[in-house]
Amino acid sequence: MSTMTPESFSKRSFVYRQLAGAEFAEVAGGALATDFKNGRAQAEKSGLLDLSVLPRTGFRGSRAAEHLKAAGLPVPAKPNQAEQSANGELVLRLSMKEFWVLGSLADNGAAIDALNQRPLPDSDCYALYCQDSHNWITLTGAALPETMAKVCGVDLREASFARGAIAQTSAARINVIVVNHEVKGIPCFSILSDSASAEYLWESLLDAMAEFGGEVIGSNALA
Amino acid sequence: MSNRLDAPMGLLIDRESQVSFSFEGKEFKGFAGDSIASALAGNGRWVMSRSFKYHRPRGPLTMAGQDANTLIQLDKEPNVLADRELAADGLKVFGQNYNGSLDNDRDALLGHFSRFMPVGFYYRSFFKAPFMKNKDTWKFWEPTIRKMAGLGVLDLDFKPEYYDKAYLFHDVVVVGSGPAGLSAALKAADAGASVLLVEEQPVLGGSLTYNRFDAEGKKADSLKTELLAKVEAQDNIEVLVGAACNGWFADNYLPVIQGKRMYKVRAKECIVASGSFEQHVVFRNNDLPGVMMSSAATRLMKHYAVKPGNRAVVLTGNDDGYLTALELNQQGVEVAAVVDMREAPQDKSLATAVLACGIEVMSGYTVYEAIPTKGNKHVRAVDVRQIVGRGAVAKHGETIDCDLVCMSAGYMPVYQLLCQAGGQLRYDDNASEFALSNLPKILRIAGSVNGIHDLDAVLADGERAAVEALQALGMAGDATAPAVSCKRQVNFDWPIFSHPKGKDFVDYDEDLQAKDIVNATRLGYRDVQLVKRFSTVGMGPSQGRHSALPTARLVADATDRTVTETGVTTARPPFSPEKLAHVAGRIFDPYRRTAMHHRHKEMGAKMMPAGNWQRPAFYGQPEQRDQCMQTESSHVRNKVGVIDVSTLGGIELRGADAAEFMNRIYTFAFLKQPVGKTRYAVLTNEHGVVIDDGVACRITEDHFYVTATTSGVDRVYREMMKWNAQWRLDVDITNVTSAFAAVNLAGPDSRKVLEKLAKDVDLSPEGFPYLAYREGSVAGIPARMLRVGFVGELGYEIHVPARFGEALWDALIEAGKEFDIRPFGVETQRLLRLEKGHIIVSQDTDGMSHPGELDLGWAVSRKKPFFVGCRSVDIVMAQPQTRKLVGFKLPQGTRKPEEGHLVLNGADISGNVTSCEFSPSVGAIIGLAYVGIGQSEVGERFPIRVDGGEIVHAEVVELPFFDPDNKRQAL
Amino acid sequence: MKIMHCPLNGPRNISEFVHGGEVREMPNPATCSDREWADYVFYSDNQAGVITEWWLHAPSGYWFIAERHTVTDEILKTYDPSEIFNQRVEFSKEDAAAPKEATA
Repeated sequence: MSTMTPESFSKRSFVYRQLAGAEFAEVAGGALATDFKNGRAQAEKSGLLDLSVLPRTGFRGSRAAEHLKAAGLPVPAKPNQAEQSANGELVLRLSMKEFWVLGSLADNGAAIDALNQRPLPDSDCYALYCQDSHNWITLTGAALPETMAKVCGVDLREASFARGAIAQTSAARINVIVVNHEVKGIPCFSILSDSASAEYLWESLLDAMAEFGGEVIGSNALA
Repeated sequence: MSNRLDAPMGLLIDRESQVSFSFEGKEFKGFAGDSIASALAGNGRWVMSRSFKYHRPRGPLTMAGQDANTLIQLDKEPNVLADRELAADGLKVFGQNYNGSLDNDRDALLGHFSRFMPVGFYYRSFFKAPFMKNKDTWKFWEPTIRKMAGLGVLDLDFKPEYYDKAYLFHDVVVVGSGPAGLSAALKAADAGASVLLVEEQPVLGGSLTYNRFDAEGKKADSLKTELLAKVEAQDNIEVLVGAACNGWFADNYLPVIQGKRMYKVRAKECIVASGSFEQHVVFRNNDLPGVMMSSAATRLMKHYAVKPGNRAVVLTGNDDGYLTALELNQQGVEVAAVVDMREAPQDKSLATAVLACGIEVMSGYTVYEAIPTKGNKHVRAVDVRQIVGRGAVAKHGETIDCDLVCMSAGYMPVYQLLCQAGGQLRYDDNASEFALSNLPKILRIAGSVNGIHDLDAVLADGERAAVEALQALGMAGDATAPAVSCKRQVNFDWPIFSHPKGKDFVDYDEDLQAKDIVNATRLGYRDVQLVKRFSTVGMGPSQGRHSALPTARLVADATDRTVTETGVTTARPPFSPEKLAHVAGRIFDPYRRTAMHHRHKEMGAKMMPAGNWQRPAFYGQPEQRDQCMQTESSHVRNKVGVIDVSTLGGIELRGADAAEFMNRIYTFAFLKQPVGKTRYAVLTNEHGVVIDDGVACRITEDHFYVTATTSGVDRVYREMMKWNAQWRLDVDITNVTSAFAAVNLAGPDSRKVLEKLAKDVDLSPEGFPYLAYREGSVAGIPARMLRVGFVGELGYEIHVPARFGEALWDALIEAGKEFDIRPFGVETQRLLRLEKGHIIVSQDTDGMSHPGELDLGWAVSRKKPFFVGCRSVDIVMAQPQTRKLVGFKLPQGTRKPEEGHLVLNGADISGNVTSCEFSPSVGAIIGLAYVGIGQSEVGERFPIRVDGGEIVHAEVVELPFFDPDNKRQAL
Repeated sequence: MKIMHCPLNGPRNISEFVHGGEVREMPNPATCSDREWADYVFYSDNQAGVITEWWLHAPSGYWFIAERHTVTDEILKTYDPSEIFNQRVEFSKEDAAAPKEATA
C-alpha cells in the first residue's frame, strides 16, 4: 500500500497535489489520504481533511424525498438541515426538493454506490452530479467558528449554527455548502464547493487555520 | 526623567521596564507603555513636529491620537501619531515638515509671510498665475510646494506584512468604554446578550481614566475599579482595546481595526458611547507647545505620570477647568490662575475648592494671546484680558508667566460614525452644543455623545440605551429604560477671540486662522462644504475634530445664519487614518482550475485568465507566441491536437418539458431534434441581442445537455432558472460546468487516436457522423462525445466526470504519441475558428448584435410560438440593417489591425474590428469586423484605422476563410 | 453591508444576492403592439415607493421575490415566487390570430 499514489488511479481528488507526505488507501477507486504525521489530537485542535474521493450523491425533484425514504435513509424535515443515518451517511436537505447524501468513512461510501444503483422514480427525481461538480473537504476541531469567521460572513457559532445545521453561503468569495456535524466526538464542518475552485479554497482555509495551529490531517485522525 | 510624577499617576506605564529610542538623532529613555509623545514630554522635549503650512513648532494637543500636531516619521512609516504609537527600544523617530532640523527649520520663516499666503492661496496662485500666462504654473511650482508641504517620507523598500480580516458576531456592540459604554455593556450582558465592547485607547474606562469628576478626586477611580471588575466577571462581554471602529455601514456592519486585523463586526444592535472631543479656544498663538487641551494635561499626568508644566494657566468655559486646576495643583503644578470665560461657575463649590488652594480665579476673562519663547518653541506667558462682548476683549490686559495653558472651551460629540449612519446634527443654542438625531432604529447613543455630561446621568444613559437595545432584541424582560436628564452646561458659546495679527488657529492641521474662515465666506463660499473645499478646513488628518465647531460658528456668524443651518461637513469613513494594508490585507481572489491544469503547466503552457479560470493560451515561451500558435495550428490542420475545453459551460435539462424549455430559451427549434444529435443553440435576451451560444445534445427524449460559453454560463443558468420560476415547466435545470472535464481532440488523425481508447463506440464516419452525439468509454472512463467542427477539422469533444479529467488527458497524450499529438491553447483555437469564420459571442458580438448582423438568421426558428427575445428579433430584423459582421483579408506584411480598431466610412465611424490574426493556412491577415451595410458586399474594400492613425484597406471576403466547403470537419 | 432575508436561507449579506430586475408582466409578444413591447423591454417606472423585484441567492441558486422601498431601501418582505407564479405558462401559435390575456 505504501507505494500507492493518487496518480495510481484514474479517479483523482481535486486537491491531491496538496497531500504530499500522506499515506493513502484505496477508497471507491481513488486514493484517500488516511494518515499524516499527526493524528486525532490534531483533528481535535484544527484539521483539514480532503474527502473528495469519498462517494456522495444527490437527488432533486418532488419525489426525491420518497426515493431516499425507500432506500432507508432519514429525510430531514426542513431545508438546510442534515441528518445522519445509522450507517453514518449524512443526508443534506438543501431545499424543499433537493437532497445530497454524503458517504460514510465506515464503509468507504459503499452505501452511496448502492443508492446510485437503485432505480429512480419514473418522474420528478433527478440524480445530481455533486461527486464531480463539488469538492468535499472537512474542517475539524475546536476553532471551527473562529476559523470560518475569517472567510465567511455567516455566524457559524454553536448558538446560531447547531449540529445538523447547513449554511449555503459564500466563503472566501466562492459558493459553499457548510454542514455542521460530528465524527467520533470531533466537531466537523464539511464544506462542499465548486470542484474547480478546490485548490483555491484549500489554500484559503489553510491560511485561515494557521492562527489556530491547523494542519492537514488524514481520515484516520477521525478514527 | 525629571518630569515624572509618582504613582498612582502613570496608569499606562510600567516603571520597571525602560525603553530607549532616538528622536532627531538623540537618545531618549521612557517606560514601557509610554507613547512616543509621553516619553518625549517626560524628558522635557515638547516640540515634536512642525505644522503643515507655516512650519510652526508643535507639541501635544490632545494626547489621545486625535490631532495632527505630533505626526512623526518612523524608519519605515510616515505620519505616525506620536501620542498613539508606543515608544519601543531601538525606534528611530523624527519630526516632520521641516527643512534642516526640527529645531532649526529654514522654512519656519514662512510664518512671517502668512499674510501673503491668504486662504485659497494655492488654488488662486498656482493654477493660473497672471505673471506666468502661458505656462502650466502648477507643474512649475508643484515640486517646490510638495517639498515644503511635506508630511512624511515613504519607505519604498518596504516588505509587505500579513494583514487580515475576520468577522465578529454579537447581539450588541458598544463603541466606547467610558462610563456610558461600560454601563451599557454591563446592562446588556447581564440580560444575557452577547456584547462586544470596543475601545480605541489601550485600556478600558474612557474619561474615568484621566478626568476628575469631584473636588476630592476620588470618584473616578472607585467607579472605574468597580465597573471594570464587573466587566471582567461578565462572560458575555468580549473586549477589544486599542481598536478603532472606523465606520458605520448599513445594518450595523462595523469595521473595527485592531493591530494588523480588521474585524468586520456584525451586531444586531449598536450602542455608540464614543464620548466627545474637548474643544480648544481660538486665540493668538493657541498652537504653541505648552498650550493644550485640559484633558491632554490630565492624560499626561494620569496615564503617563508626566508633569505637563511647572506653572499653569487654566482657560475654561465650563466647570471642568476647575477640576483640572485641582488636579494640577495636587500633582505639584503651580496654577497661576483659572481664567473662566463665564461670569461664574455652575457649581460654586468648585470655585471655593480652587480658591482654597490659593489659586486665583478670573471670571469673565480670556487668554487673548499666548506669548512664545524664542523661535515659538514654547509658551512663556499669556496676555489675559477681560471679555467685553462676544469675541471682544478689553484694550489692555495682564501678562501672566506660565509654561502650560490648559484649554477647556467645551465639547463636540464624536459624531462621525453617527453621521455616516444618517444621523443629523442640530445645534442647541441654549447649550451651544451640537446634538444628534435621526439615527437608524438599530443604532443608539449614550453618554456625552448624547449631550449627557453629569457622571450619574451618563451611567443612567448607558443603561437606558442598553434597555432599549434589549427591548428591540426581545431580551429586556420587564426592565424599563430610566429617564435621563442633565442640567450641566459644558460649552461656552463663543470661545473665539480673533487677533489682528492672526495665528489664532481654528484648524491646527491646515494652519487655518479665524480670518481665513471668515475670508472664505467673503469670497462667496457661504456653504460650509464650499468653505471646506476652498480653505481646506477639516481636510487634515484630524478631520474637523476640533475645527468643525468653531468653523460652523464663524460661518454662521459671517453669513447671518444659525449654526444648525450652517452645520458641519460630511463625515465619511474611515474615522481614523487607516492603512491600505488593512483594506487590502487578505483579499480573496478566487481562481478556478480545470482537472488538467497542472498538466498544462508541466507541458510549459503560457496561462491566461478567462474569467476566474486559468487556461493555456499556447504552449511555449511568451515571446514565441506567434511561432507557438503556428506550430499548434498546423498540427491541428495536418495531424492531431488536443485542447482542454473543461471551462466550457454545461447545463443539464431533464424532464418531460425539457424540449419545450429548450425551444423557449434558444432561438432554434428543438422539439424535433433527434436523440443522439447535436444542434447549434443561440440565445438572445429580451432585447433580441445575442448573448450566448452553445451546442445542444439530445441524450434522450427528455434529457438535453447543452454547452454555454465559459464566461456566459452562470448568467445563462440564472436566466433559465428565473424563467422557469415563472413558466413552471416540468424541467430540472442543473449547472454541470464543473462536473465535466472536457477536451476537443481535433485534426485529421483524431479518429485514429480515439480508436485506440474508445473500444465500445463505432467511430466510423457512418457510425458516428459529424454533429452526432455518442456515449461510451474512453480509456475506461465514462464519456460523452460530440462531433463538432469549431476549429474546422475532424474532431471530437470528449466530456468526462471531472475527477477523471487528468487521467483522460494523460491517456490521450499517450495514445496520440504515435501520431505526433500536440496540445494547443486558447489563442491557437481562436485562430483556427477564425479561419472557419465562427464567431465567439462577446468577442465578435456586442450589446447590440442581433442575429441578422451575425448572419445567424438560419439559427432562428420563425415557426415556433415563442422564444426569449423573439418579438425584439422580429422588430429589429424588420428594420433596415445598418451594419454587418464580415470577414476581411489583408496581405501579409500589412500593419495588423487589433481588436477594437475602427472601421471608417468617409469621415464617419462605421464599425470596428472584433477579431484579427495572421493565418498561416490562408497566408494572409484575416479578421472579422463590423462594417456599414454599404461596405459589406464581398469584394468591397474598407479602411481600418490602426495604431498610430495609419489607415489600412481591407477587403471583404466570403466566409469561411479556410476549407470553404466545410469538408474537413465532416470527414 | 446590508442584510437581506432569503426565504430559504435566512438573513445574509447582500453580497450573496444578485438583483434580477423588477417583476413585470410581459405583454403577449404575439399580439402586443411594437410600442407596448418596447415599453416592456426598455422602460422602467423608476417609482419612488415599494417595488417588487427578483433576487437570486447565488450560493443556493434560489430565485425569490422581494418588496423593497426605493426611497428608504428598506426590504419589506421576501417570498417564494410560487406565491405569484403558480400556474404553468403556455405560448401557442394561435396567439397571433386570437389575442388573449397577457402571459406571465
